Amino acid sequence: MARKKTVAGQDLRDMFSAATSWLEKSSADIDALNVFPVPDGDTGTNMMLTMRSTMEEAYRAPDHSAAGVAHAMAKGALMGARGNSGVILSQIWRGLAQGLEEKETFTAADLADALQQSAKVAYKGVSNPVEGTMLTVMKDAAAAAQAQVDAGNEDIISVLDATVSAAADSVANTPRLLKVLKDAGVVDAGGQGVYTILEGALRYLRGETELMRLRKPQIIVSELPYTAPLPQVSGVDEVPYGYCTEFLLKGEKLEPDVIKKRLEKKGESLIVVGDDSAVRIHIHTLTPGNILQFAAKLGTMHQVSIRNMDEQHQDFLEMQKERMPTTDMAVIAVASGDGLKDIFGSLGAASVVPGGQTMNPSTKDILQAVESTFCDNIIILPNNKNIIATAQQVQSLTEKKVAVIPTRTIPQGVAALLAFDYEADFKTNTELMEKAMLSVKSIEVTRSIRATKINGLKIKRKQPIGLLDGELIAAGTSNADVIDRLLTRLNIEKAEVVTIYHGEDAEAEEAEQINTDIAGRYPHLQIELIKGGQPHYSYIISVE
Amino acid sequence: MAVKIVTDTLSDITEDLAKELDVTVVPLYVRFGEEIYRDRVDITSEEFYRRLVSESALPSTTQPTPNDFLQVYNRLVEETDEILVIVVSSKLSGTYQSATQAKEMMKGKCQIEVIDSLSVAMGMGLIVDSVAKAVKEGADLKTAAGLARSCISRSHLIAYFDTLKYLAKGGRIGKASGLLGSLLSVKPILTVREGEMAPLTRVRSLGAGLDYFYNFAASCSGIQGMAVEHATTPEQADKLVERLSAIYPKEKIHRAVISPVIGTYAGPNAIALTILEAEKK
Repeated sequence: MARKKTVAGQDLRDMFSAATSWLEKSSADIDALNVFPVPDGDTGTNMMLTMRSTMEEAYRAPDHSAAGVAHAMAKGALMGARGNSGVILSQIWRGLAQGLEEKETFTAADLADALQQSAKVAYKGVSNPVEGTMLTVMKDAAAAAQAQVDAGNEDIISVLDATVSAAADSVANTPRLLKVLKDAGVVDAGGQGVYTILEGALRYLRGETELMRLRKPQIIVSELPYTAPLPQVSGVDEVPYGYCTEFLLKGEKLEPDVIKKRLEKKGESLIVVGDDSAVRIHIHTLTPGNILQFAAKLGTMHQVSIRNMDEQHQDFLEMQKERMPTTDMAVIAVASGDGLKDIFGSLGAASVVPGGQTMNPSTKDILQAVESTFCDNIIILPNNKNIIATAQQVQSLTEKKVAVIPTRTIPQGVAALLAFDYEADFKTNTELMEKAMLSVKSIEVTRSIRATKINGLKIKRKQPIGLLDGELIAAGTSNADVIDRLLTRLNIEKAEVVTIYHGEDAEAEEAEQINTDIAGRYPHLQIELIKGGQPHYSYIISVE
Repeated sequence: MAVKIVTDTLSDITEDLAKELDVTVVPLYVRFGEEIYRDRVDITSEEFYRRLVSESALPSTTQPTPNDFLQVYNRLVEETDEILVIVVSSKLSGTYQSATQAKEMMKGKCQIEVIDSLSVAMGMGLIVDSVAKAVKEGADLKTAAGLARSCISRSHLIAYFDTLKYLAKGGRIGKASGLLGSLLSVKPILTVREGEMAPLTRVRSLGAGLDYFYNFAASCSGIQGMAVEHATTPEQADKLVERLSAIYPKEKIHRAVISPVIGTYAGPNAIALTILEAEKK
């Protein structure tokens, strides 16, 4: 493996130039990830344009030392920074330049130092740093470089390799830190951009320029399950995003810190960076005029850009729609219990309306979910026999095309949702789903609310009782006993998969025990135990 | 002089079939750490899948170099002046670039046409099979290339994956990313659409997956070719072949093993079915 102890200014320039081309290939993919702070879908493009300006300046610089190149990069970045991410990126280069001050060439230790400084300066530029963004990725990457150096590693390539891996892990972790990413099922766009730049630089140092020409950077995939956001319960009040306002302020004796303080209350996502002669300002505000008026008193404004973010957001939604595997069909499910809601979300339901046994949602609740879903063709899974009629009423209340699959239980709903075919049309899908829902047997275990006689069973109040496909056919001494009785009624030799959803009333230990018992008795089954968290039913079991 | 056909190992064309069809198969590369193997030349499928499951670091794959293709072209040029190259989807591998670069290096010494199959595994293998047979019957380069193009839209590959883990880690997930992150253990059924992996549906078990395959094949009319492939579970693939033979007694069903390079993404227990529709008259 190639090893490298020092890097000269020329190489510093070439490695980030290669990284810029690398980023360029990925900028459209990064745009599509962009949901924070404003889902306007331009992070990749902004970072790419910022990098271009950064590198143009770097090639103009007369000083070819590492310090000289880094300084030119910082200057180019500040002058050409675009958008939130671009401005933060410019701070990363500024930090790098500070870290490489007076260096003719740099070593692994210098690089680690400089990256640490980059992270520090980047945090400082943002008035309220948020974790789970490119700031976090930069910090984690820098920490990894430092750890390598502390462990005695002097080879720049392997130090950078560890840095890039740490950046990748950090990107994958962003949805855990920032809920809007988790809800959208994406990683942070700016973080992905930082990772791509570092990776591009690494590949250059490894001599993979030919490979870089043929390949494309990878978008990191989060391992966090994607859970669909729940529909808003009250009316859809959209908070306006306002105007993304940015410009370069030139003048004398400018005081970035003072300017930052003055603007702090004027809007969101404020970034003020620069020195006493040039300051870049970026803010999301409802009143861009006030910002400009304030700035005009301090100096001259350049590269003024004011963009309506609500428009950008709309464009972004359109772009997102194009990227979805299916664009014109969505499934809405009714379920309650955090576990069950997440299950439906993770399986691709566009939204989950809260409701179930003894807590039926209103037609209006379902209608609202239908209207707030971005598709014109909607399939509803009521998952309860008392909700089917309610769901069907929605059909006459909306312009959208709505089909109700008459699922009577949660297992039927899950089976129907799984059968959704990404390439089939609406009619075929409803047929497939109706057929699939009949392929499972549903067991529901609850407690009787009063003493009664039914189906030849004498039932005491609060006794565990079991339903098979909605019909009460067993009563027992315990939940496990009831489940036993029901399983023996089924043709279980033919079954392959048993899924046990335990409810909010079920004890985890008891659920584990039931799981172990069934596995012991029917070794050919694939059994899955899941916390459904549903009220009313201590257990819902699907057998298929 | 007869057209010579070149493909890559991702076509899953076995050595015997390659000989029978007179097709040259260029291997891709599989890398475990520092060790590099030529697909099915230096590493057998069995050995590969054993290591895929037992080793913690995932293997990576690399396309053939332009030079690999150049050598093949130079050898073939002694026997022919027309070469047809059919390679794996350019959206899944850089093999197409390598084949094309090598063509440029030949500087017109020979008529070479490189075709992006927009598919993989037997989805491409059956195209090669069909074209090779036409060449045997005397098709020239233009006719053979035209036939290959017409086969592309008629070749349907569907695959059952036991897990999407390998596909996701390898960065080849394409539009199937919508299937990631499910909280239930589900088995995706994927297809190749416009050269990329795309989701079809999901099932809970291999049994349900094989039923889906069976129904898919049963609903097809006018089948020209069929292939069933496995990664590590030949007995399951054989069962499917048996069921399909019952409804298609006359058709020959190709059996193949999924290439280690594809296995890097498909993972163990994957099964694939390809159907080449007959041309609509």
